[in-house]
Amino acid sequence: MRRFEYIKPTSVQEAVKFLADHPDEAMVMAGGTALVVMIDQGVLRPDYVVDLGGLSDLQGQDSSNETLHLGALTTVRTLERDPQIKERFGVLAEAASQVASVRIRNVATIGGTVSYGEPQTDIPAALIALNATATVVGTEGSRDVAVEDFFLGPYETVLEPGEIVTRVGVPAPSPRTGGCHMKFTIGSPENKPVANASVVLRLDSSGRCEEARIVMGAVGPIPLLATKAAAILKGEVLNETAFAAAAAKAAEESDPVDDLRGPAWYKRRIIRVLVERGLTWALSRAAAQSQ
Amino acid sequence: MGPEQSGSTKPVGGVGASPAMLDAEDKVTGRTVYLADIEMEGMAHARVLRSPFPHARIVSIDASEARAHPGVVCVLTRDEVLADPEIDPYFGYVMRDAPVLALDKVRHQGDIVAVVVAEDETTAGEALEMVDVEYEELPAVIDAVEAMAEGAPIVHEEMKPIAWDMKPIYGSNIAHHATLMRGDIERGFAESDYIFEDSYSVPPVQHCALELHGVIANYTEDGITVWTNCQSPYPLRKELERMYKRKVRVIVPFVGGGFGSKSRDRIEATTVAAAKLAGRPVRLLLNQEETFQTFIRPALTCTTKTGVKADGTIVARHHKFVSDVGGYGISGPRNANNTLKIATGPYRIPHVLVDCYAVYTNKPPSAPYRGLPTTQHTMAYESQMDRMAKTLGIDPVEMRLKNFLREGDVHVPGDLLRSVHADECLEKVVEAIGYKNRKSGPGADGKLHGKGLSCTIKYTITPPVPTAATQAEVVLRDDGLFEALVGTVNMGQGSDTILAQITAEALGVNLDLIRVTHSDTDVTPEDNGTTASRGTFHSGNAVLDAANKVRTNLAAIGSQLLEVEQSQVQVTSQGVGVSGEPGRNIGFKELVQRHGEPVAEKGACVVGGLYTDETGRQYPITSTFWSFASAAAEVEVSPETGEIRIVKMAAAANLGKAINPRSAKAQLEGGIAMDMGPTLFEKLVWDDSGQLLNTHLMDYPLPSMELVPEYAPILVEHPLEGAPFGAKGIGEVGTVITPAAIVNAVYDATGILFHELPLTPDVVLAALENPPQENPPVRPKATQA
Repeated sequence: MRRFEYIKPTSVQEAVKFLADHPDEAMVMAGGTALVVMIDQGVLRPDYVVDLGGLSDLQGQDSSNETLHLGALTTVRTLERDPQIKERFGVLAEAASQVASVRIRNVATIGGTVSYGEPQTDIPAALIALNATATVVGTEGSRDVAVEDFFLGPYETVLEPGEIVTRVGVPAPSPRTGGCHMKFTIGSPENKPVANASVVLRLDSSGRCEEARIVMGAVGPIPLLATKAAAILKGEVLNETAFAAAAAKAAEESDPVDDLRGPAWYKRRIIRVLVERGLTWALSRAAAQSQ
Repeated sequence: MGPEQSGSTKPVGGVGASPAMLDAEDKVTGRTVYLADIEMEGMAHARVLRSPFPHARIVSIDASEARAHPGVVCVLTRDEVLADPEIDPYFGYVMRDAPVLALDKVRHQGDIVAVVVAEDETTAGEALEMVDVEYEELPAVIDAVEAMAEGAPIVHEEMKPIAWDMKPIYGSNIAHHATLMRGDIERGFAESDYIFEDSYSVPPVQHCALELHGVIANYTEDGITVWTNCQSPYPLRKELERMYKRKVRVIVPFVGGGFGSKSRDRIEATTVAAAKLAGRPVRLLLNQEETFQTFIRPALTCTTKTGVKADGTIVARHHKFVSDVGGYGISGPRNANNTLKIATGPYRIPHVLVDCYAVYTNKPPSAPYRGLPTTQHTMAYESQMDRMAKTLGIDPVEMRLKNFLREGDVHVPGDLLRSVHADECLEKVVEAIGYKNRKSGPGADGKLHGKGLSCTIKYTITPPVPTAATQAEVVLRDDGLFEALVGTVNMGQGSDTILAQITAEALGVNLDLIRVTHSDTDVTPEDNGTTASRGTFHSGNAVLDAANKVRTNLAAIGSQLLEVEQSQVQVTSQGVGVSGEPGRNIGFKELVQRHGEPVAEKGACVVGGLYTDETGRQYPITSTFWSFASAAAEVEVSPETGEIRIVKMAAAANLGKAINPRSAKAQLEGGIAMDMGPTLFEKLVWDDSGQLLNTHLMDYPLPSMELVPEYAPILVEHPLEGAPFGAKGIGEVGTVITPAAIVNAVYDATGILFHELPLTPDVVLAALENPPQENPPVRPKATQA
């Protein structure tokens, strides 16, 4: 592995100052599961690695209020296993449970997975489906960015040099809401997906669809919100026919490319299947919530 | 077999028992020393500069900046190698065409161009980037069939065959072309009622052993010592002694899996050259990407044309195959050639023509993959078997039973088959999977269900003249323990345990009195390599021979010390005693003490030679033993996504005799799990410009435990005469039979016979929605009429 200098800041302010002073030479590390591999492979060649691990401002979860606050260093494994998150933010826990392997989930963090901007990862899709917001801190102060607006392209985000994600806020879903996260891989379930989908459905008191959020991963440069597919469902009575139509529309909205995980046409087919299955599960969960 | 055993009890942990592997505890507690754990005084670290191009002439190399980099010990380039008159820079066991590092041109992406040796690996990596190489790019050829075409770029302008049986076509990329003929192929086709012709292809994959390739070399005036995880230390020693004109010692510690990827050396000679230049021990450990560039299972394309009678009797088969050698013929052409005699399957076929082409391309060198290319041939002839059976309306089981080779058949002149029982293997898996009552096609769950079969014949590497291919030594030491010294490399297959069990059984003592020392060319006797399922048979016979001699000696020594007739002496775990007189016994420790020296004997396994047929004609014996095995698979296919789920697999092999039944079953299980990958999704991909796209396991999926189905490993035991307690090898047939069984199960489920691996879900879905047309059989007699 290439040599670099290891920086261990003692505060968020110190971290962002160092990053702002070394915009081209420093990289941020949280869990390190992506960064270390890329340095090892020579894809990234930082002179400095700024380890955020241990910064107390980035730790902890607070689910006492309506909004779930997650420190950026919250591990994927915590998202998967925390009883509160599992019960109230099931889509997030479900997405977390499908990320890579337990070894990775034990160290990978929510802040890292959002900041990395990889179009295939599961957590960002779930966060978008749940209307989550990321808090970004730089030398100039902090700002909140909807995760939906966070990604600009593959491995490209709204983060400016010297900015880091400090926490993620997830608003509590309203009653009569259900969601589902699905991932499709070739070979081991630990592999990167051919496609993944996070779906959240909110029903009105009559059982019609009040809002649908359908997020598709690995089938575009960023996690894609299938707005036209969601529009098909809004205000409708939800059934197989509606789901099939929405899934077909979502597949049209996807924008996959050919790669080692499959040809584009196949990824489109799979995203259709995942969205349709996800919607079916989400409805049954939303209906269970309504009772 | 040894002296009289009357009164002795069956030793604990002997043949037929399933003790835990002797090395298991050390492995699970992390005490086992692997290559990367070895530290040496003054050891420097090497990194390899590799070619970015698949085919290019090296114009110049400037390493001056790298040499000046702090912490760099030396940089090895072609200039240093060519300037050293003591080094013959080329090696190889079939073609001698692989250089220590590229001397004139590079022949695959990742080919070795220079080696930087530094105080640590990181510094070596930094200095690699300072080596300036000017290349003149040449047109590359990536596909073996294209490489055979007129006008294709030539990978080796000069062919350098060194093996007696290599037949290159000079001026082409064909490193070896050989044919096997039996009967009259044209007459066979003319006499057939139907002729089926199909093409099949299997892409390149890598073995993906848990431990990556690595070497430590130390060059001194007194000699060279090499620590490596190579599977063939003795041939390597011989080759290095020739190249460096020095005495060489090769030590192979415990190896974390080889599967053929380490069957031959690739970076050993390079590391020795680096160590010579450095003047101190040098360690080179490869990463995953480099391992993909070191040895691969070759792509194989074949066309199988088979003539059958309407009743399913196979009359003629022409099997033509093209095996990719890659950039260097270190062993690739031999591996292809070695499958000539098994390429048409475990069937009696009177008229046979096999055409073998081993072809150079600009890809990494090819290596055997747990069973040579037998797997690829099996996939071809077994899936065609099911297509023929279905077309002719014959039960696939019946069709195989009708055509199987039987006990005593002469498969190929010189090869009298013994311990066959292919039929029993098939019948066992048919029963285990419930083949006869299968419900094929769509089920109530919306999935497509099917079951499939495959059968194979596999040979083991055998020299053309009688050779003590493997030797061993058994020594009773002064601590009262027996040491078995064997050449077999322990790469996780359980060889130490099996060989200790054979030794214990032959001596008549418990397993806990045996310890095993393996694969150190200065300490353990000669062995031709831990490949081709050789270990149990060859080292087994050698330790058996040695142990029998030791037992005879013990009886003789006991007879003197106890002052009784030798026939009265019995050897037990307690030592040497007098039959029927429990009080009169001398422990082994005391025996060595009183005898004055350890009791040591060497043993050998002599194989190979000529077979004389009834007319007096002589033929070289192809194979010391033949393996027969069958598999059955049950699958379900999703018509929505094209996914294949393997529900259950059964595998049965006639291994002669199971020395350790648990270990033998694990070989079948491991083989199934391993070859599920290349069947379903593994594939190394080079783009058109010759760049490997899978550079990491993130981009090269492997089977994980979640995918491993319920399986039934079945041991069929028909002892082979001349084998240790009747035991043949079992290490490779599990992989060999897996792909065809899965392909046939998918055929049964979907009606689609796939001719190309892997069966990724996109490929399956595309075929489900647009079913390919099979070539209809030709009816030669109808045409004539």
